[in-house]
Amino acid sequence: MNTRFSLAGVVFGLAVLCSRGAVAAESPSALFPEKNRALLKEHCFSCHDAEKQKGKFRMDDLSFSIGDNRTAELWQKVLNALNSGEMPPEDEKQPAAEAKADFLDDLAKVMVVARRNLADTKGEIAMRRLNQREYGNTLRELLGVRVAVNELPADSNASGFDTAGTNLFMSGDQFEQYLELGRVAMTEAFERHDNAATAKKQRFEAEEGLLARVNKTQKKRIEYRIAFNKWKRAVDAAAKQPENHAVAAEIRKTVRGDFPFHYSWAKIKGAPSPVDFGFTDAVHAEHEGGNGAWTRYVPYTSWFVSQPENLTGGWLTAGDNSVNTYFSFSVHGWPAGDYVVRLRVAASDKVSPQRKFIEFGKGGGNPFKHDSAHMVTGTLAEPQVIEIPLTLTVGGLRTFFVRERGTHDDDHQPNLKQNVGIAENEIGPDFALWVDWAEVERLPAAHPAPGMKAIAAVVGDAKSNIPPAELGAALERFCVEAFRGQQPSAEFLKRLLAVYQDRRTHGENHRKALTETLALVLSSPRFLYLSEPSAGKTAVAGNLTAHELATRLSYFLSSAPPDETLRNLAASGELLKPDVLAAQTNRLLDDSRSADFLHPFLHQWLHMERLDFFRFNNERYPGFDVSTKEASRMEVYESFAHLLRHNHGLRHLLKSDYVMVNGLLANYYGLPDVKGDAFRPVKLPAGSPRGGLLGMAAIHGMGSNGEHSSPIERGAWVLRRLLNDPPPPAPANVPMLNRLEEKLLTTRERLAMHQEEPQCASCHRKIDPIGFGLENFDAVGQWRTEDSYERRGLGRKTWPVEPAGAFHKGPAFANYDELRDIIHSRGDDFARGFSSALVEYALGRSIGFRDVTLIDKMIADAKPEDLAMRTFIHTLVASEAFRSK
Amino acid sequence: MGYGVTQETWFPDRKQSGAGYALPQGLAPLARHKEDITIVQGLTNRYSEDAHAGSTFWLTGANPHENGAAFRNSISADQVAAAAFGKDTRFTSLQLNGSDKDLAGPGHGQGLSLAWDKSGKPIGGQNSPLAAFHRLFSAENISKEQLQRRLAEKRSMLDTVMEEVRDLQRGLGQTDIEKLDEYFQGIREIEVRLAKDEQWQSVPKPKAPLPQPARDRSGVEEIKLMFDLMVAALQTDSTRVLTYRLPIANLLTSLGVKVAAHDMSHYSPGERMEASQKRDVAHSDLLAGLLDKLKSVKEANGTRLFDHSTVAFGSNLSHVHNLTNCPTLITGGGSGIKLGHHIVAPKDTPLCNAWLTLLQGSGIKAERHGDSSGVLKELMA
Repeated sequence: MNTRFSLAGVVFGLAVLCSRGAVAAESPSALFPEKNRALLKEHCFSCHDAEKQKGKFRMDDLSFSIGDNRTAELWQKVLNALNSGEMPPEDEKQPAAEAKADFLDDLAKVMVVARRNLADTKGEIAMRRLNQREYGNTLRELLGVRVAVNELPADSNASGFDTAGTNLFMSGDQFEQYLELGRVAMTEAFERHDNAATAKKQRFEAEEGLLARVNKTQKKRIEYRIAFNKWKRAVDAAAKQPENHAVAAEIRKTVRGDFPFHYSWAKIKGAPSPVDFGFTDAVHAEHEGGNGAWTRYVPYTSWFVSQPENLTGGWLTAGDNSVNTYFSFSVHGWPAGDYVVRLRVAASDKVSPQRKFIEFGKGGGNPFKHDSAHMVTGTLAEPQVIEIPLTLTVGGLRTFFVRERGTHDDDHQPNLKQNVGIAENEIGPDFALWVDWAEVERLPAAHPAPGMKAIAAVVGDAKSNIPPAELGAALERFCVEAFRGQQPSAEFLKRLLAVYQDRRTHGENHRKALTETLALVLSSPRFLYLSEPSAGKTAVAGNLTAHELATRLSYFLSSAPPDETLRNLAASGELLKPDVLAAQTNRLLDDSRSADFLHPFLHQWLHMERLDFFRFNNERYPGFDVSTKEASRMEVYESFAHLLRHNHGLRHLLKSDYVMVNGLLANYYGLPDVKGDAFRPVKLPAGSPRGGLLGMAAIHGMGSNGEHSSPIERGAWVLRRLLNDPPPPAPANVPMLNRLEEKLLTTRERLAMHQEEPQCASCHRKIDPIGFGLENFDAVGQWRTEDSYERRGLGRKTWPVEPAGAFHKGPAFANYDELRDIIHSRGDDFARGFSSALVEYALGRSIGFRDVTLIDKMIADAKPEDLAMRTFIHTLVASEAFRSK
Repeated sequence: MGYGVTQETWFPDRKQSGAGYALPQGLAPLARHKEDITIVQGLTNRYSEDAHAGSTFWLTGANPHENGAAFRNSISADQVAAAAFGKDTRFTSLQLNGSDKDLAGPGHGQGLSLAWDKSGKPIGGQNSPLAAFHRLFSAENISKEQLQRRLAEKRSMLDTVMEEVRDLQRGLGQTDIEKLDEYFQGIREIEVRLAKDEQWQSVPKPKAPLPQPARDRSGVEEIKLMFDLMVAALQTDSTRVLTYRLPIANLLTSLGVKVAAHDMSHYSPGERMEASQKRDVAHSDLLAGLLDKLKSVKEANGTRLFDHSTVAFGSNLSHVHNLTNCPTLITGGGSGIKLGHHIVAPKDTPLCNAWLTLLQGSGIKAERHGDSSGVLKELMA
């Protein structure tokens, strides 16, 4: 086996080299601008020349053209030594700050180019494994199942997209996981199959048992209160006895808010035990009957019980009052499949619009993670019915809940909400949302998925006995579907059948043996790898066949296998015609599944995982709860989707007179009259800072740490994602500047030291001014004109935001609007960054100098159409790079 | 640990090398073990350029750009040891991870654990103490015949997919064959594991020397539990090689620290530095607990488990964004190193010299590891 591998390797390796050698240019060298020689001459060569070679390091012969690994490594040393301040030595003359910063800027940049050139794959696209999400989507398309795939190792990596084949590893552990997930997928597919005709529907009335339950709690609380007061008075009376005077005085010294006097009852002679009053101990007594419980809960509960609407439905409460903070319902034992949840709900007209949103989620746990948020427009007079699609999976949760939005993102939030209500009316939060009932109904089964169609004849049941010939034919059909149209080998089929038969002989039933056999197909390389073999032909790089093109196109634009239409067009060869390919590209982009391309692409390209790097401080930013954060994430996706749908220009993302929002986000942005959960374009009032990525809450949230805005993150993000001028990676080993300790400073003052050291200034002189220009947005993307900082022991400092600044060696801006206009005028730069990312994502490899022509063409083609979104994709799909391997 | 240490309060004074050094604040909880630990300064992975690479190269010392690669890695020191010591134990090696999952992650960079295999591929790890417990000690209730049958089934499944590999490879180019080889190697791994399972099937799993944890924990408690499991694994000779990638977000939460981990790592005097120091002390405290355990467990011949173990505690990142002077604490009597000392190695000594010293000291005939330039003589007793 091994021998064959290596033999084949040599032969094919040569073939690849030959065919490439004729057409492909050699890697070009990265050129370090000659102007930098002056600084080296003045500060380095005197020690590091041919003669001295101090530290065994010679620089005078170091080539400014970086075209091989050795030269790159030597320059990396130079860069490291300068960044760490190691060189020039302290006692030698130092370069002028500005000159050193310029030098470092050039060198760091040229190293990025050199590394990229050296890592160039010569345009070759390696076969790759399906990444985590493609694997999940592929099972969905093949079998109609929704398998949780997040147990697989994440495929994300620091530098590239999750489509980059070289980063998609495989291991024995992972094979076992695929095998197990394959079993789960088949089990679910069979469960769906068996229940194709099953009907299920159940309604859950919110009032059922509600008042009885609350009344019982209330009665208990009142009884506890009475018992508590009796006990406390008895303790106080005992403490007043002369014999206890001294000890009582001692105890009083220990009393704190969370440690009341009567906790120390045992030290007081004659004081009764709380156990005699029905409590387990003093803490229990305080908790159930003390002032906290009484003042917090009992009046609130009484108020709740008095609401007539609780006779026909139930008010949801907000806070830690444990009255009815969520409404929960279960459908235990219901089979996997597609369902709909209906909620009949209303919002009170007494509460602010922010509170008219309801969250829906599965399961329990603390805190519960919800799946969606919905605007409630119904009133008590006219409640509305909200429909929420739901999928039940094998082993998935069968219990659901609804609750008011932003009331239970973490353990801390209920308390905050309760306090807000108490501050308003001394009792607790007003009731905002009322639920009449919830209903779960099974939807009729969709058409069987292709994989299930392939085995329809042999699915049978546990007791079935299927003739081997019939089974073999079904296995073959299944393999063809699973392998995206490729034929399995006869030997593989034979062995599959043997696996099945062997299990049957050993007493396994038909279903179990079939599950194992098919799980094996779902773990085999032709399913897991996007292989593009040239069966029977010489394995050289070349044009993709129609089938391979169908696969690449489909995984590019929907992260899923080619559907029947694409496969048919591939079979007839039609797909190779440019107009057919373009039409199919449009069809895939029009399909809702293009979200499976757009979302992960944007998430990775725009580095949106930063939105999940930290919890936003919900005490400081109560409006930016998890539901709002999710809506803000969707705004980014939907803004791109809108352009893609209508083939509008990319520049709208830099500035536009509309925003893509739903009711929740419109409420957050203060835009009136947007109802419902669907995102749609909404015209902005004049002078609004919104419109375009720079006006989006998600982008500013990413440019923060959940607490404060981070001008550095934002400035670097703008350079990287909008202006295609990425600063080099932050260097290691730069000396720290620590002298600004223990002082309250404005953000600008704090970051001013970046400008002092050339190692920092070389990048920060470009980054920081842009970040400062965005300081009118706080950590959660709300507009502000003042910023402040508070430090324990030092107090608080407040200052007006001063956005004015200038691009490094570039235009000045007086405020955010002018900054945005400058960025908007650089649409071509944005288009270049977008195109590069798109090529990298689509081809699954890092881009190299060979791709410049393609990227140029993408921009040139789109330019006459105002940088229309689809044109980029059409040019890419039609390119030789996309159509070859 | 992924985010390094607090430079100002973790490293001993460079002027006090040798045995007579003062333990700084960050190491204070280790005072009772001072005679048995050695701190090494001056070690660096010279190819580490990216402070965001976390622990990716900590045990490997690889040059990520060798031969112009965009990214590559090489075998980690623990796997070199596993190749030598793993043959006679049920588990060749065990990789454990902190349970940090969401948010900014543990700052360890790429990889699935601290371990990388001989082709530089990441090796997966276990991040649940409970699951690790079951793997080590929970007996499977099946008969010998059932187990045999299961192994046979597994082998026939592997043979089947291997047939697919053979068929697929026929039409592929060189690069693709290399990619497919990963799959092939994956199957090989399982085959090796099956052979081992077969070899161990008649040997019942050892009785757990600690009670089964009721549930998984988070933060300090999680680390304590993992440390206990590590000792238990060694004590029962279930494996002789372990790595543990420490959690950080969970740890900070359990310490009541509100600063996010990455923010903390970019400390300057004030809240973030206090958080960083609190983390250091917590680490040292936990480590001291681990050493207590290793010392209290007696081997059959009456010696302490500690005397036969080698423990390295450290990070590829020194502090903030600095990669020079990787914090390194070495302890245990297993590789015959000099204990109770503060060693200041010459600046930019390869960290791999320390790994090589430990490997050789443990009796492994390695000539080099990663970018090592020799053994660390100062470390040898």
